[in-house]
Parts: sequence; structure tokens; C-alpha cells
Amino acid sequence: MGDANTSLTAAEATHLLCRTSFGGAIRQRDIDKIVGEPRGEVADDLVGFRPNKFRPTGSSIRVAHDKWVKTMIKTKRQLQERLVLFWHDHFATSDEVVLDTAEMAMQNRTLRIHCIGSYLQRGQRGSFRDFVKAINKDPAMMDMLDTRTNRKESPNENYAREFLELFTMGVFDSAGNPNYSETDIQQIARAFTGWRVDGDDDTFFDGGTGVIDGGASCGSSRTGRHDYAACYPERGPKVVFQSTGGFGPAGRDFTVNGEGAAEIDTITDIIFEHRDTDGRNTVARYIGRRLFEHFAYANPAISVVDEIIDQSAFATSFLVQDYLRALFCHDEFYAPAAIPGSGTRKSVRWPADYVVGTLRLLGVKPKGRLGEMIVDGGNFRRLRDQLSEMGQILLAPPTVFGWDLEDSWLSSATMLSRFAFARDVTSSRGNGSTAFRPEKLVSFALTDPGEIVDAVTTRLHVQDQFTADERQALIDYLGPGPIDLFDYDYRNTKLNGLFALVLQSPAYQLY
Amino acid sequence: MAITRRQFLQRSGIVTAGTLLGPNLWNSPFASPALAAGLDDRYFVVLFLNGGNDGLNTVVPLSNGPAMPSILSNGLRTAYDQARDTINLAPAALAATQIANDPLTGTSLALHPGMTGFKDLYDRGVLAVIQGSGYPQPNLSHETSSRKWQTGQPVGSFGSAGWVGRYLAANYSADQIPAVTAANGIAAELKQTTTSVLGIDRLDRFSFPRDRFAPSDYAAKDAVFAALYGNAKTSPQFLKQRVGAIGDASFAATQIYPNLYDAYVTARGDFNAIYNTNATTTKRRMRDIAAYILGTETGTIDSRFFQLSLGGFDTHSNQGTLDATHNLRLSEFSDAFKIFYDDMEDMGVADRVCLLVWSEFSRRIQQNSDDGTDHGTQGPMFVIGGGVNGGVYGAHPNINEDALNNQGNTPYSQDSGDAFRSTDFRDVYGTVLRHWFNVADPTTILPVDNAGLDPNLYWRNPNFDMGFL
Repeated sequence: MGDANTSLTAAEATHLLCRTSFGGAIRQRDIDKIVGEPRGEVADDLVGFRPNKFRPTGSSIRVAHDKWVKTMIKTKRQLQERLVLFWHDHFATSDEVVLDTAEMAMQNRTLRIHCIGSYLQRGQRGSFRDFVKAINKDPAMMDMLDTRTNRKESPNENYAREFLELFTMGVFDSAGNPNYSETDIQQIARAFTGWRVDGDDDTFFDGGTGVIDGGASCGSSRTGRHDYAACYPERGPKVVFQSTGGFGPAGRDFTVNGEGAAEIDTITDIIFEHRDTDGRNTVARYIGRRLFEHFAYANPAISVVDEIIDQSAFATSFLVQDYLRALFCHDEFYAPAAIPGSGTRKSVRWPADYVVGTLRLLGVKPKGRLGEMIVDGGNFRRLRDQLSEMGQILLAPPTVFGWDLEDSWLSSATMLSRFAFARDVTSSRGNGSTAFRPEKLVSFALTDPGEIVDAVTTRLHVQDQFTADERQALIDYLGPGPIDLFDYDYRNTKLNGLFALVLQSPAYQLY
Repeated sequence: MAITRRQFLQRSGIVTAGTLLGPNLWNSPFASPALAAGLDDRYFVVLFLNGGNDGLNTVVPLSNGPAMPSILSNGLRTAYDQARDTINLAPAALAATQIANDPLTGTSLALHPGMTGFKDLYDRGVLAVIQGSGYPQPNLSHETSSRKWQTGQPVGSFGSAGWVGRYLAANYSADQIPAVTAANGIAAELKQTTTSVLGIDRLDRFSFPRDRFAPSDYAAKDAVFAALYGNAKTSPQFLKQRVGAIGDASFAATQIYPNLYDAYVTARGDFNAIYNTNATTTKRRMRDIAAYILGTETGTIDSRFFQLSLGGFDTHSNQGTLDATHNLRLSEFSDAFKIFYDDMEDMGVADRVCLLVWSEFSRRIQQNSDDGTDHGTQGPMFVIGGGVNGGVYGAHPNINEDALNNQGNTPYSQDSGDAFRSTDFRDVYGTVLRHWFNVADPTTILPVDNAGLDPNLYWRNPNFDMGFL
């Protein structure tokens, strides 16, 4: 059994960097630096960053999209951006619903600030619970799931339902029992009445003091902070979890800390105390599993997730940083690094990882104005459109459920879009920073076809994932040695072609 | 979700999604002889209205039927106006799209005013409206409820295979591509791991990407590509095998499918122009499906199952009446289907095409304060085709407040003594399976709910002869 003191092997080090950045290590020395080091120390370095406050603003959602993609490519805070993408999928919010680039950018910053544990005050770390409390009041989310227009006469259940189902608990626990009832959703929907957003995108609670107008209907344009009586929150006790959560038949009343503004924080705290039918913390298991599936592999044994939760005290602290550190020390995290066998747990690369990771590994910069960014080769299609055809438009996930993952990324159309991107990124020939320049990646002095193939697959971190037959097919493609890579025509045909084929290969679609 | 035993058997058994790359690549899987039984020379199209279509504003009570105090406290139109005061559709607006009366209450019914295309098909006797369709213990989550409809197994645990997928797996082999999803991705209804499903968002852009720098190298690259993907198809690692099978089938399809678009535009330029007028995504997708059908008719391919979806039905706010979201979405698919049906009729295959429309649930009877509606339960389905007996089937749900459950939705019932007995969607699927796919016993694909369950509240007594096919 490995633990924090176990030294990283080369394969594990490569894998760790692939999963905590887009594409993995750009330079071999980044891998060499951590090989042989204890997992715990390397993990501490990885998770020990303090998030920055970048937000992708812009005149349109396309500009914001490209700004974020550019950040993913350029930033040294690779784990931060991977986490922001993970949370964007988790708290899935689409500009196609929100229709407000500024609010989307603001949410993106919120995801970043809280991505690994927020820093509420100097030295004091925040938890996933604080993250959820921030999302409760996030203007884009309030648009996405109708909190903004939720009125007491007929409470809108949209947010309350996804709050439980997607953001914190899941519908069923790991034993298949429901985590909550429809009544719980209706009670929570009542609490989310009365919240508004002002013209500066500040969220506030319309508590019903300083009434200026009791007549007009809610949801129309407004000027002051305190307006229409109809918007006031539903009053009276609100009891949840009478049938689940380990709270007993009395359940919990979440107006105990005061009605109105306090209710949504109180209900959040109660949810974080909820226990499933195994007596385990429901939120810790649900979020622990999601993080595990993102960074390691799908469908883990629940006992593995429990182990990592226990090792990191995640069920009491809810510190994502601590959970990830324990995850990066755990043997199961390194399982996908194995050479493919029948039991090997692999994952399908997300399109964003495919595109951003490939650009990083090849050192190719996109060109063109923000919002119109392209790769300088092939069909000159916008990066955003290419990602869309692969099935992933950033800032516009298909539904509040986020993207369908793993083999749902795979179909004829989406794979052909990956093949097209691989063609594009390797077909721009020239000397600029937006061109593909293989001389920076492979020594032209190499003459042995096998060595050239290995150099390319190693550069792309898939050297262990090609079988002998597959490797031989690539060697045969180059032709008999000695190869002269200084030959312009040969190189521009075969070396570019080799890179394209590896990027298009089955092995490279997985990690 | 844990891997069930059935999934495990499928995954470890026959290779997934098309084992087809042989030496004679271009001739292989697409033009296989027509099946002797089963679907035979027919076609099946599924449209998923994603988000939960508001059934009450889709098939609308136009005016009350005769008074029926024993089963109905208010006429359905009166109840409709009581439940909805800003998004109710006025009788005058509904006059042009009136259809038959509700068989139970005699309420006169109309389609949403935006559904003039469907009204046209209804008047031609090829559109069946199936009211009050749902399933036991309705779930109000989009994802969960969609899965129940897509798998055809709403009660108990369900695997990942779709209900059409189970039919495909039982009737087609790994070297065939019987189904196409008109989108990036594979529709959940079609999912299984035995035969191959293509996902093509836009047929006109479907091709294999090539680096034009070196045309002389195309063949060499193709050979390596084929070797890599052929090899991956036999990988012991599940995902690599899956990537291999899909990539391999995709490559083969890129050699054949693009010709279908050109062939359609050449042969059917008039209809292509109609689809392109005020073009919508749904029109474009129905045109692509028409091209696959033409390709199958002419023997180039053999694809007979198609799925498309249309989003935007999650109308929690501002759903509108004669304008706004709901109207736009309903008219989008209604218009596209009419053009498609005309196209099929002109092509001479309308009698061999059947289309089915469903949504994961209907919406709350009472509107909310945002001029929208929250998640609901039973709603209408539509079945369309030259072989369909047009008309109105099933009972319109009783939308009076005193008939609703404590969430404000219509309850599911299979009680034969209940005048407002619901239609279980499996009866609709089963009627299609028996009368269109020629499945003698549809319960092999749609298992009946467990024997211990209350037959008034669960699906214990299927009816696979609803009459619309």
C-alpha cells in the first residue's frame, strides 16, 4: 500500500502531471524533478497554491470564452484552471440561459476563488461549504435556476432541486436509498424567495423593510433595494429531512437562526450534516466521489472514496485542498497509469483537455482576435466552434447537469472533430509562434525510425499506451532508416504526419 | 452507477460499435440485405423534446365538454383558466388548430396555435395524439425522468441501454450501422454496445480531415490510421476498445455518408429548398434524415433508425402564449415535420415512416409567478406516419385542483375504474414495437413492473394494441 511517503515512479509522475494540468508536463525536466520524491511532498506543492482572482470579461461570451481558453494555455496555475473547469461542470451554468457575459465572468471568478478552498481572511481557509454558500447567491446561478424571480405565492423549485440533486447530495446514496423527499425540495424552495440582484450585480436579500410599493408585481424593473410586497420571503417554520439524514422524525427546522436572509445559510449547514443510510456524511461522499472521478477514474468503489475522505477529514472540514492531497497520495489515483490491460481504469479526455493540452504540449499558440481565435492551419475554424463540435462549449454546458462524461464524449462526429483539430494543429508550417515547429520537440539529428516514434510519443506522454503493434505501424509509416529529418519535404510530410497520427490515435484520446 | 451484470456481459462479449474494418473497407457494412422480419423496409424516427414540454399548452382544452359532475368538478377549459391566468391560450387563438374532442369528457381540444404543421398532418389523418402519457411514481428531475423514458424502464434500476437500443442489439450485428443520431453524440434511446450508431450533427460537413500539404501521403496515413484503430478494437481495455470501434466505424462512414448529402440535394432539390427556407436546426436535421432514407432506398447504406432532440422546453419563466419560447419551439418541430412528411410522401415512402415525439415530463398545471411552469407529470405524445391511424387517444388528465396530487401535478393511475386512467408510455412504445417493429412480445424489451406491485398504481396490464398503428 502506497501513501504520502511513497516515492513517485516515472510513470506515476507523468500521470500526476497529466491529471493536474492540461496535457501534462511540457518539458521532460518537470517530470524528472519529481521522480523519486515522496507523493505527499509533491502533492503539497501542487495543492498549495493560493487562487488568483482572474475573470474572463469581455464584450461578448465568445470573447470571454477565448480569454479563458488563453488563460488555460498560458497559466502556470494549471491545477487551478482544471479545478475551475471541474466546478464549472459541477455548478453548470450556461450563458445561453443567463445571457450576461459579465455575470458569467463573475461566476467564473467565484469558481476560481473557491476552487481549492477559499481564503476568507488572511491565513484562514474556506471550505466547500463556503463555496456552496457563495454559489447560492451567485447572480449567474440565480438566473440559471430562477432564484432571481422566485416568489412566495408559488415558489419556483428549480434551484432547490438542483441544490440537492446536483450540487451537494445526489438523488440516491450509494445503497440506492433516496437522500431527500419532494417535501424537502418544496421547503427549501420557500427559503430561496426574496433574493434579488441589483444593477451592480450585488446580491441582496429583500427582507421587506422600507416598503415603497406594495402593489406592482415582482420581476419587473426596479430602482431601489426594497420594493414589492409580493417579493417578500415566505414566512413561518420550514422543516426538512424528516425521513432522511439521521435527524430523526422531527427533521430540522432551518428558520432557527432567524427567518429570511439567514435561512439559506442555515439550510446549507444542515445539508452538510446530512448522513446517508450507511451513516456517512452525504455531501462528503457525493463531492468526494465527483472529485475522484474527475482526477482518477469513473465508478470507484465507495470504500476507496471513504478512505480518502477519512484520511483527509473531508467529512468535517470540507477542505478540497486536503481531500486532493490525500487523493494524490492514494494508490488508486495512480491506477490509470498502468499499461492498458483488461482491468485498467482509463478516462476519456475532455475536449477542453484535448485542445488546450495539445496546444500546450506542441507549443502552438492560437492566433486571431479574442472571440475569433483559431489554430493557424487546416480549415481555420474558430477554436470555440471546434470545441463545440467535440461536444464542449465552455460557459455553455448543455444543461444544469453539465456535460455527459467518459464514453459519452465518443461518437463519430465528436471523434472526427478531434481528428480535424489534430490535422489543423500539425499542418501550419512556418516560423511564427502560431506555427507548429517540430524542431522544438524532436531532435532532427535522430535517424532511427523507432527512436523518432518514441521521441514523439514520449513528448505526448503516451509512450506506455502504444502496443508493440501500434508502435510498429508508426515506424513503418516513417519508412526505413536512416531517416533524414533535415530534408524539408520528408520532414514536412512525415514528421508532421506522425504527430497528427499520434494525436488522432486511440491511445491519445484516453488518459 | 455501478456496472450491472447485463452491462458486464455486453462489455465483455461482442466487440462494441461495429467491427468492420476489413481489407474491403468501402464495400463492407453499409449495404446489407434487408431484414426478413422485424422492421423490414420501414423507418423509425424519434424526437425528444428536451426540458419537459408543457403538455397543457400543447394539446389545449378549447371549451368545456358537457357537464360531468360525477367525475369532474369543473369543465377542463374552466379548470385551465383557473390554473393559468397569463399563459392560457385564448379560445379565439385556438380555433384554427382545433382537433377532435377528448374521448372521455367531450372537451373540445386544439393544438397550440403555433403547431399549424401538426394540424395539417392531423387533418390528413396521419397524426395520433396520445394524451396523459406518463409512468408510475413520476420523477421530477430532468435527468432521472429522461433516463426512465429513454431506457423504457421507469420502475426499479435500469441499465444504460435505450429501449430502441435493446431492439437494435437483438436484431443487428457489430458490422452494421442501423442507426444515426442527428447530433454530436449517441442518443440515449439508441444506446447499447452491440451494433454501431453514428452521430452526425451536420451531414453537409461530414468528412475525414486531411492535411492538404501532402496528398501523396493520404494512403500511407490511412493505412496507419486503420492499423491503430483496428488494433484498438481488440484491446483488452474497455475504453480503448470502444474508442477503436467508434473511430474505425467513423472513418469508414466518412468514405460513404458525404455522398448522401450530394445525392439528396441533386435528386430532391425542390424539397431541399423548402427545408432551407426559414431554416431551423430541426429542419436541417430532418433534411439529413431524409437524405439517409434516400440513401437507404437507393442501397448506398442501410440505416433505418434516427433520433433527434430539440431543447428549450424547460419553461420555468416567460413561456409566452403566441410568442416567446414555447411557441417558437413547438412551431420549429411542427413545421419541420410537415415538410419532412411531404418529402416522404413525394418520395413514396410515407407509409413506411413512423415518427414518435416524447418529452421527459409535462409541466405543473398551475403556472408559477414568472409566467412559466414548473416540472410536472403526464403529457401528450405524438405518433406520425402514413401507416398511423390519426386521432386522439387516451384521456386528457383531469386538471381540476381537487384532482391534483400534493405537488400540484396529475397523478398516475392504471385503475380501470378510474375514468382518467393514465396512458403508460410503455403502452405507446409497445404498440410501436409490436405493430411497427414486428416484435411479437414487447415485454421482452419492456419488462412489466414487478408482480408484487399494486396494478392500479403500476404497469401490470400492458396494452400493446392502442390502435394508432
